[in-house]
Amino acid sequence: MAAPIRGTLHFLRGLALMNLRSSLALRGAFWLQAGFMVLNNLAFFATWWLLFERFPQIGGWRIGDLLTLFGVVATGFGGSMVLAGGWRELARGIRDGELDSCLVQPKPVLLHLVGSRTVASGWGDLATGLGMLLVSGALEPAKLPATGVAVLASASVFTANGILVQSLAFWIDGMDALARQISEFTLTFSLYPRPLFSGGISFLLYTVLPAGFVGFVPAELVRAPSLALGAAALGAALFWIGLALFVFQRGLARYASGNRIGVRV
Amino acid sequence: MSTERFAREAGKYAAIAWLGARRALSERAAVAGRALFLAVILFIFGRVWATVLGPGGRVGAAGRDELIFYLAVTEWCLLSVPPLYLSIEGDVRSGDVASQMVRPVSYVGAQLADALGETALRMCVLGPTAALVAWWIAGGWPADPRGLWLALPLGLLASTLAVLSTAAIGVSAFWIVDTSPIYWIWQKLAFVLGGLMLPLELYPDWLRAAARFSPFPAMLWGPGRMAFGFAPGAALETLAELVVWGTLAALLLVWLARRARTRIALAGG
Repeated sequence: MAAPIRGTLHFLRGLALMNLRSSLALRGAFWLQAGFMVLNNLAFFATWWLLFERFPQIGGWRIGDLLTLFGVVATGFGGSMVLAGGWRELARGIRDGELDSCLVQPKPVLLHLVGSRTVASGWGDLATGLGMLLVSGALEPAKLPATGVAVLASASVFTANGILVQSLAFWIDGMDALARQISEFTLTFSLYPRPLFSGGISFLLYTVLPAGFVGFVPAELVRAPSLALGAAALGAALFWIGLALFVFQRGLARYASGNRIGVRV
Repeated sequence: MSTERFAREAGKYAAIAWLGARRALSERAAVAGRALFLAVILFIFGRVWATVLGPGGRVGAAGRDELIFYLAVTEWCLLSVPPLYLSIEGDVRSGDVASQMVRPVSYVGAQLADALGETALRMCVLGPTAALVAWWIAGGWPADPRGLWLALPLGLLASTLAVLSTAAIGVSAFWIVDTSPIYWIWQKLAFVLGGLMLPLELYPDWLRAAARFSPFPAMLWGPGRMAFGFAPGAALETLAELVVWGTLAALLLVWLARRARTRIALAGG
């Protein structure tokens, strides 16, 4: 049992190193994309800064709380893009029959598909997120464990939800655009203060678009660490990962080869 | 140029614009995606303003309803603009630009006409969508909805200015190939200095003053503030600014296009 786990961990390490090398291969493009993503995030945050300058509180949230929320979500999103950027192409790969080359290799198929791509701009998100967490005080030693769990949970739910909706391409044709849209909406909603949403929309944000578990719950865990919140964040992450794996495996059983000749390195 | 020749030349570009609009109409998913995004942003900011202002709260002349319609107008102006810079960049990268330059129409002119046709179609779809969603979220029209009529021509001109700007960014591909970073800077400046989500009235004085030296307030805040009431004087001011900035953008584009043609000739096509 230990050997396969060790093998998988070794494989994961290899994928992460390969992603890093692949990002740095075009050094100029890498710095440009990462740098502009930082600017992009700061420009978006500037709107909130302007609003909080005029109105110091929004539903009890202050600028520091929003900084924490942005920090957690951007770090989690950046981590997802850097280490598991392949989930964004899953639906297209299923539609075009590009899974064949992964199926014949003695490695976990989903891990291979998701981990073998990276998005250079994700480093910019990662840098912005960590910077915001630093400024908000979330990286102080006392808060570090809660921040770590929060970022891990946020990244896991976002990635797993992405895999889940992309995997629907096994059943539904033309799912790639819709899947991307669902992920974008999840991200969009996760970046706004929790008190803005209530009632039916709140239910939606903890189910179909799990923005609540990508942003609100992890950010709350950093703001006011507690075992209950930690358990909720990690429980949601495990649930979404389990659901994504289940849907992907069920879908994979239906997968028909694209009969495409290709090489995967 | 005789009137007949001018009409013939204009007819070519009108036909290209018509094709651009028809192509955009066939790309239903892209238009629907933008409409949905617009609706989501309006919903979220409807909640933001309801929470921040409370019942009856105002920012200067604008209450919650006016601010929702402000965002509807600014997003309408910006979301209607297609990513023309990517199309030009793609032609430069693939080398297709050389074969297109031998056609009896200006390459940049044809790209511009195509994008303007697409913009017109998107404005026709996104305009009513924005108005209806804003009306639904606000629970009615702004206190003085007559200003929205003034936003229509201003929005058309604002989107034209945005198309001219993205065309100029696209033509820069003849020198730098990857134009996305320039577009990102332009887009972020438009977001912040143009007042895409928040009207400039909410900005600190120094930032508002700095923004007025750029074309972005004319492009977004100018048409958007028409939601705050019927203000023909302000509309004329925005109109004048849009004409000035539009002329400057067109001159810049013509200059860049000429330089680009020389560059193609030097490089051998």
